[in-house]
Order: sequence, then C-alpha cells, then structure tokens
Amino acid sequence: MTAEGSARILDRGYRKFEGRRSGVSGAVRSTAWHSTRSVLGLGRKARHKVAPVLVIVVAFFPAIVFIGFAAFLGGDEFVRDFLEGTIPAYSELPRQSLAAIVLFTGLVAPEALVRDRRDGMLSLYLSTPLTRITYMLAKVVSIVGLIAIVVLVPSIIYLLGLTFASLGPDGFGDWVTVLVRVLISGTLASLVYALVSMAAASITDRRAFASLSVVLAMLGTLTVIQVLVEGADLSINWRLLDPVNMPLEMLARMFGDVGQYRDLATERVYAANAAWAAASAGLLWFRYRKAGA
Amino acid sequence: MAGVSVIAANGVSMVFGSHRALDALSLEVPTGVTGLVGANGAGKTTLMSIVLGLRTPTSGSVSVLGLDPFREGARLRAMVGYGPERNVFPDDMPASDFVKHLAEVRGMPRSEARTRASDALWLVGLGEERFRALGTMSTGQRQRVKLAQAIAADPSLVLLDEPTDGLDPVQRDEMLNLIRQISSEYKIDVMLSSHLLEEVERICDNVVALDAGKLVAQGRLDELVGDVEGITVELAELDDVPGSIEAVASRLRAAGLSVSHEEGLARMDVLGASSDEIADAVRDAIADSHARVRRIEQRRRRLEDLFEAVDA
Repeated sequence: MTAEGSARILDRGYRKFEGRRSGVSGAVRSTAWHSTRSVLGLGRKARHKVAPVLVIVVAFFPAIVFIGFAAFLGGDEFVRDFLEGTIPAYSELPRQSLAAIVLFTGLVAPEALVRDRRDGMLSLYLSTPLTRITYMLAKVVSIVGLIAIVVLVPSIIYLLGLTFASLGPDGFGDWVTVLVRVLISGTLASLVYALVSMAAASITDRRAFASLSVVLAMLGTLTVIQVLVEGADLSINWRLLDPVNMPLEMLARMFGDVGQYRDLATERVYAANAAWAAASAGLLWFRYRKAGA
Repeated sequence: MAGVSVIAANGVSMVFGSHRALDALSLEVPTGVTGLVGANGAGKTTLMSIVLGLRTPTSGSVSVLGLDPFREGARLRAMVGYGPERNVFPDDMPASDFVKHLAEVRGMPRSEARTRASDALWLVGLGEERFRALGTMSTGQRQRVKLAQAIAADPSLVLLDEPTDGLDPVQRDEMLNLIRQISSEYKIDVMLSSHLLEEVERICDNVVALDAGKLVAQGRLDELVGDVEGITVELAELDDVPGSIEAVASRLRAAGLSVSHEEGLARMDVLGASSDEIADAVRDAIADSHARVRRIEQRRRRLEDLFEAVDA
C-alpha cells in the first residue's frame, strides 16, 4: 500500500539516447537473430512452428535411433561389437537425414528472404546501418545457423550419445578431433546448402514458388545428373554438378573418408563446392543489387 | 544546430536510362520541419533515396547531417529514421516487436530498444494497441506504427514519405500534429514528402518544391507564402441577379484597379491600390452590382501559386 497522495503516473515523454550504438555488427546480429526466430516460428502462432519442428525431428531421428540402440543394447559385448561395425561413421550420419536436409533448405531460405521482399522489411532494413551486403551477410549467418540444426547438430548429439555409451572416439585427443571435424565440415556443408537455397529463393517473390524452386533446383539437378551418369554413361565428373550430394561428399572427405563417390578426386569435390557457393553468391548479388531502393 | 544545413545538395542529377528523375538540384534544408512537395513523379522519393545513401546520384554531391551518404551511409543511417510510403508490414508481427526490432537494428541495446519501442508507441497513441499484430491494424494505426519505428531509436533526422497517405481528415490532422510535435518538442528535424500542399503549409517551417525533377522553390515557408499586395474576393452566383459577378469585375476595372478574374469563376484577385482603397472599391462595386459576398480577405500567396507560376 502506498501512502495517500504518494502514488503518481510518470510521463516519461521522449528521452534522448546518450549511450553507445551497436553499429553495423549489432544490426547484422539483430537481423540474423530476428530472421532465425521468424523461420522457427518463435514468437509467432503455433501453426508457424509445425513445419520446422517436424522436419527437425525427422532430421534428428537417425541419430536418436542409433544412440538408443547403443545405450540400451550396448551393454552386451556381442551386440557392442556388432554395433561398432554397423552404426554409421560421423561423416555418414548427415546422409541418413538427406531428405530432411533438402526439405529444410526449401523451407528456410524462402521464409528468411522472400518475406522481407514481400512485406517491405527489405526497404526498412536498407534505411538502417545495413547495406545490401551486410543485410545478405545477416541472412547468410541466420540460414547457415538454421541449416546447421539439421546437418551439424544431429552429429554433435550422435558424438555425445556414443561417447556416453562408450562407443565414441578413443581418448580425449581423438574426441576433440572428431568434434572439430564435425563442426567445421558441418558448417561448410551448411554454408553451401544455404547459398544454393538462397540463390534459388531469390528468383521469385512468392514464398511457395521459392520453396518449390529451391527443392527443384536441388532435386531436379540431382535427377538430371543421375540420368546422365547412370543412364547415358557419362563421366563421373558430372556428379560434381550435383548440389544435393556434393556438400555431404565434401563433409565426408574432410573426415578423410571417401563418401559416396570414391572415383571423384577430393580436390574436385572441394572445387565443386566452392564453385556452387561462388555461383550462388553471384546470383544473389545480381538479384539484390538494386532491390529495396 | 541553428543555422546549420540538415541536408545540402549541390548540382544533384539522377538519370534512369533516358529519364531524368532529378535535374541539377541544389538546395539547403535547415532545421525544423521541411515539406518536400511535388506531384507524383516529381522526384521526391528519388531525392529521399539519395539522402539515405541508397542511390548514388549520376552527378553532384549531397551532405546529410554533415556526412556523405555514400561514404558514411551506415553511420548516417543510424542517425536517421525513415517511414516509407509503402504500407505493407509483416502482418503477424506485434507492433511492439516490429518497432523494437528496428530500434535494435538502428543500434539500440536490446533492453533499451524494448523500452523505447513501448514509449514510441505510447507517444503516437498506440500504447494500448502495442501488442496487436500489424495485420489487424487500420491504415491510420499502421501509419502511426511507421512513425513510431522512425523515432524509436532517437534519430537526429526523420524522413517520412507521404505520411498521411490513406488517412481520413481526422486521422490526417492527428498525424500532422504528431509530426509537428516531434520537431518542436523532441527537437528532431523532419523532412516529409507530400503531394498535398495544404498539409505542408499547415505544419512545415521550410519547403522544397519539385516539379519534374527540377527545383521550383525552396526556403522558409513564411517567405514563400503569406500576405501579399491586393485583396481576394469570392462572390456567390445569384439566380435572380444574373451577371452580378461580371458586373463587380467591370466596376472595379472601371475604378482603375487590376482585376484577375477568369470568366465563370466566382473568385477574383484585385490589385492596384492600397488595401483600404481596394476594400472600399470592392464594397461599392458589390453594392452597386447587387452581388452577394462569400469571402473577402487579404490576398495570400499559396504553394499552389508557385506551381501555377512554373506551369505558366
């Protein structure tokens, strides 16, 4: 209880800000975080959360199943030996969730990019310390982080799960090496997926079409290359043009494994990923060079 | 900031293909509220884009708040609030989140941005509505949200592109009062673009008038418009006294006065003597012609006259 006469409503009016502004780095951070929240449906109605949560659950499923086997059956020495020989290597795990990865890229980039163009946010962003380049940087940070949820995070959970089930790497040094490889290869693969999906999503201003163009760009190219290599018996090097498998092939090579295409030279796999990233960044620059002015 | 130019442009031209959107524009915008007026396509939005550093002019130079928008764009835009003409927003986002997010992007720390977003929405009269989704708001409320996001990060200059677009007369009055308040009470300089000369005359200290990319007039409003020599008379047409308006004009001309009157129109400007002498002559001419007066006032030059002079 306040004493009679002491209660009052304060009119704060308009206050000048004397503190330090966060500048371009703060603008990039804030935009990236806002974009991430928006894609995951955080702070939005429940229906916006359904699709991303569903795809993430599907992407986590293989890792959780294998950890479950290891945890519940790994006590038996025979089963343990069997598991060690059959559960996927760290470099192979993301391939178990390939469908979820493609689906998620088709969901993430259109939501993060197309919405801003359609609802006028892009013009507003460009009236702030952000430029087109720093705006795109914020989006890349956000989309790479989101795609890493389905490419990278299951591998970390897998590593932790197997470690607790005594099926992880031997010794602390090996464990850290695997963790670093998981982090670097997963981030780079996510970066390639992010740039390819952003480029495909930049083609149209309709979110549904953008999702379709991302999935078609990935699966369509994959199908054509499959037909060319297996049907028309063309060189294995045509596989380098496959944007679905090449990032995961690069991920496997970074672990020292051969991945799915043992006949492809590792340098060519790296070059193909770099080319996909550069071509996608070029298309993005072209599409956004005058946008929002 | 008194006496300092908020915006200074020197010989700015902007050419898109064969279209010259701005033509050798040189101007200085002082502190206060400045109206950027002109018909659609006059170059207002292009000028605002250049001021924000979003477009590089084909030729000429611009300084905004003492900074070069092209070399120091990011630093400048942290000090500028912008309300675009486009009335489209993220529909499912609450107004408070929208204003807070843009305040953060303009450099406010997160907790400060939250407080300032709330304060700005209260100031524009949306305190009770601040958690409502933007998609459920009326056009008037959305215009206020645009104003709130423009002022939330404590800018030195606010650029508003057609801030009264789509508002009814009552909402327009409220919006114009808010804009005036931002300048006079919060000491934020404002440049607003409008094609409605009346609202610019109502709240602006300064005017920049564009026509087809060219500068028509610039300066203090009270120097460009206001009382001038002569009297304006508006008469009512009477069915029982046909030709009374023409008769008044004829009598005034006969008295040696200069009458600017288009046939068929009820309004005339009378010049050629002192105001008192003209007033007496008008009174006599009306009485002798049995005409009916609707309005007599000291002649004023309006912004409209500036554009009419250019067209002529």
